[in-house]
Amino acid sequence: MKIKTGNQNKRRFYDGILQALTYLSSGISVLVLVALFVFIFSRGWSSINMDLLTNNYWSENYNVEPVSEVADTTFERPADLSEEAYFSEKWGVAFVDHVNAHKEEMILVEYIDENSPLYAMSDVSIRSNPQDFTMQVGMQVSRLSYTNEQGDTQLAGIGGQTAQDVAQALDQATSVNSMFIQTTGGGIRGSIISTFYLLLVSLVIAIPVGVASAIYLNEYARKSKFNMMLRSGIETLTGVPSIVFGLMGVTVLFPVTQLFGATTTSILLGGLTMSIILLPTIIRSTEEALLVVPQHLRDASLSVGANQSQTIFKIVLPCAVPGILTGVLLGIGRVIGESAALIYTMGTFINDSPTLLSQGTSLAVQIWSIMSGEQPNYELACAISIIILFFVLILNFAVKIISKRFSKAWY
Amino acid sequence: MENVIFDVKNLNLFYGEKQALIDLNMQIEKNAITALIGPSGCGKSTFLRCLNRMNDLIDGCRVEGDIRMEGKDIYKGGWNVVDLRTHVGMVFQKPNPFPMSIYDNIAYGPRCQGIKDKKTLNQIVEQSLQRAALWEEVKDRLKDSAYGLSGGQQQRLCIARAIAMEPEVILMDEPTSALDPISTNKIEELATELKNDYTIVIVTHNMQQAARVSDYTAFFLLGEMVEFDKTSVIFQNPSDKRTEDYITGRFG
Amino acid sequence: MEKLVRPHISPEKNQKKMQKDAILKAIFRIAAIISGGAIAVIVVFVFMRGVQPFLPGYENGQVNFLDFLFGTLWRQDQGIYGVGFIVINTLLTSFGALLISFPLSVLTALFIVKIAPKWLSKVMTTIVELLASIPSVVYGVFAAGAITTLVISLASSMGMSTAGGNSFLAVVLLLAIMIFPTITSLSITAISSVDRALEEGSLALGATKTQTNFKVVLIAAKSGIFAGAILGIGRAFGEATAVAMVAGNKMFGPTFNLFDITRTLTSTMLSGLKETTGLDYDIRFSVGLVLMVVILVSNLLLNLVKKKVGNMS
Repeated sequence: MKIKTGNQNKRRFYDGILQALTYLSSGISVLVLVALFVFIFSRGWSSINMDLLTNNYWSENYNVEPVSEVADTTFERPADLSEEAYFSEKWGVAFVDHVNAHKEEMILVEYIDENSPLYAMSDVSIRSNPQDFTMQVGMQVSRLSYTNEQGDTQLAGIGGQTAQDVAQALDQATSVNSMFIQTTGGGIRGSIISTFYLLLVSLVIAIPVGVASAIYLNEYARKSKFNMMLRSGIETLTGVPSIVFGLMGVTVLFPVTQLFGATTTSILLGGLTMSIILLPTIIRSTEEALLVVPQHLRDASLSVGANQSQTIFKIVLPCAVPGILTGVLLGIGRVIGESAALIYTMGTFINDSPTLLSQGTSLAVQIWSIMSGEQPNYELACAISIIILFFVLILNFAVKIISKRFSKAWY
Repeated sequence: MENVIFDVKNLNLFYGEKQALIDLNMQIEKNAITALIGPSGCGKSTFLRCLNRMNDLIDGCRVEGDIRMEGKDIYKGGWNVVDLRTHVGMVFQKPNPFPMSIYDNIAYGPRCQGIKDKKTLNQIVEQSLQRAALWEEVKDRLKDSAYGLSGGQQQRLCIARAIAMEPEVILMDEPTSALDPISTNKIEELATELKNDYTIVIVTHNMQQAARVSDYTAFFLLGEMVEFDKTSVIFQNPSDKRTEDYITGRFG
Repeated sequence: MEKLVRPHISPEKNQKKMQKDAILKAIFRIAAIISGGAIAVIVVFVFMRGVQPFLPGYENGQVNFLDFLFGTLWRQDQGIYGVGFIVINTLLTSFGALLISFPLSVLTALFIVKIAPKWLSKVMTTIVELLASIPSVVYGVFAAGAITTLVISLASSMGMSTAGGNSFLAVVLLLAIMIFPTITSLSITAISSVDRALEEGSLALGATKTQTNFKVVLIAAKSGIFAGAILGIGRAFGEATAVAMVAGNKMFGPTFNLFDITRTLTSTMLSGLKETTGLDYDIRFSVGLVLMVVILVSNLLLNLVKKKVGNMS
């Protein structure tokens, strides 16, 4: 039989097409990943700074009045004040123009002298109960009412006025009647704290329960029907969508948090729910690690009169630590990225001062919260996404390193 | 045999449905070396592991009959398992030191019994290593990992680990099968030396080894004990045809 | 020889150690029962809450079960809850995603295992792992910001309009991306465990490397690849946050138009979460129950198909 060259060429052609298809599909996945990173970083990167991490999300409003009259002395412009700041010599205060994450223009306090009459003021938001108020750098001036040299009452800082306008107005003012001050919001400090609480609660529960379950299944359980059922139960848990865990949380676990005094959904409830979600992950990686611990080490330990608990805690578990660590890291990644289950169990209210028993949002839920509002704030959402991605990628990297280092059994 | 430590009567052992030991009767003498020989799969290791109840760990393993150690039954509550194992130490086929330092390997057993005193532990470690003829080789690197030792040294470390518990019996499950001839020789010498203080039961594949070191030899075949007698008798004048066939190398 | 250890050992002490063992074993066992029993607790409680609205004597007025199951209208504001069209939408979006993702995943897996040079295969594996580790909510932001833009321009090029890009198509594309790493990594496992002898047999018969890859390797690995598809579709059904960001929550349906907004079971469960009592809240458990049933039934059916496919060769 003779194979024709024409046939061979045809074959080569088809082979080429098929090969090209595999290159194409792989290329598409690369493209998607690149597109995602480009989108997230291009929209979010400019918002990433210390202020984002340390600021509250909600801005607070103060209606303040000075307590002391303006003195005759003039203040000196500090040498290190930036070029863009406008300084009022009379009042010892400097302002800058600023654009926040929401693209809103605003005037911020850039410098305040401690002897300035605008430094120690009185918060009269509630007339009957005035509070001491200290002007701080970074606060936003949204309205300033003053009396000028002619004795007229004027407003500054409103309607498109710039920092320069306000500084100039102040220099002509004989007295300041009142100021409307806002703290800058749009930060994620509260969510960072909530996320930490969430991690704390979920890991404190999931690690011991998960590790203990894995130990039971691997070290104690004989091949009985009951134990097979436990195994398949844990297996099935992996396939349950996280939103269903949310439903479970509010029905099954909510009464548990009530025992601790919770009245609504809370970070504690979110943590408890997450701990259930983490169980299969931690159990699986612990078990994988336990399986690699050679039986002869257990035998050796028992043969010198150690009981099973001693064998487990002194021999088996130390060998399984890398595996447990892998599970924990994967779990941390899961907690940081989880949203659906937490929307049900922690609520979507962005809480600037969260406690275990209050509602709050993790970073991921904060994204959901600002994306599901009337005006989705992509800049902030992408900025938080960058932070989440950063952690998730680091965790994945760590897991890879750990499993690479410990994959070769050293015993 | 006047000085009996193990008295085995009508021992039957099952793995699930499969019977691994059939109606075993045997007496093991104190301060002597008893060798268990036979082709692989004959049940000699299974029997050995009955003596310190290491078979307990195997799924579906069932033991019937009597094993008495010093007159107390080891399966029916005469001894509790943990206590029994402190009296009956074991050395395994492959050297299996723990992933710890040499010192910690030896101190592991005593520590598990609640001994924390540093001085006592130091003494135990030195004494055990000396008895296992390893002290001179490792005394300067007690804190080093046990995995840095050679195979033969590791096996002697395992013997030292067993000795540290000051047992009456040391079970050895083919202790030299993974070792080179020189290390094997050292272990054999050590075994002969140790028999003054301990009863040793040794499973071996190597008939010369049994002939060299043991006082008594039992021949196992297909879960049964075919013959058990003084080693000299077994090797020079076996009463069973099958024993003779095995010893002369006709099968195995 | 001085007895140093013996004085410290006593049967009583070891008896206590064994009691401790028993206690510890019980504790470990309880932990395992908690872990293994959690799924039962979830099923039972979601079921109990989920069927409540259909039972007589339900405090907020009994809901007709059949109306709920086959309804084509979902108006929270009017108290009309019909989940039928939502189930259809969920199936449509998920299988649509599978349709796109499945060939891409399998081809990518083949590329990684058999075709790519070693360094490229490592890079691609990392990329698949990266895609797998990106959280749902980040995909949601990407979908809401980028995929919708793509959909809008696609629609306008075809002379259609969309509700800001929120659409059936956007959900399908998003889900396709999200289930891609799942199917790919399972396919990688399946393809790399194909017996080399099979390949060599094929090569020895004069087939080219590419022919072998497509006609022998893929067929031999189909069972594992199919398992990946099943896992992937399960993930598509259950995906909530990201889908809810681009679904648009249509109130009636089903949606067949790619550029029309849609509503899935999960997006329904996340919409209007302000309520915490009453029918509007409880019905969410019924939807959750329907979701679980959909996942379960489709898993069973697909596994049946898988068995059939696995037997053919």
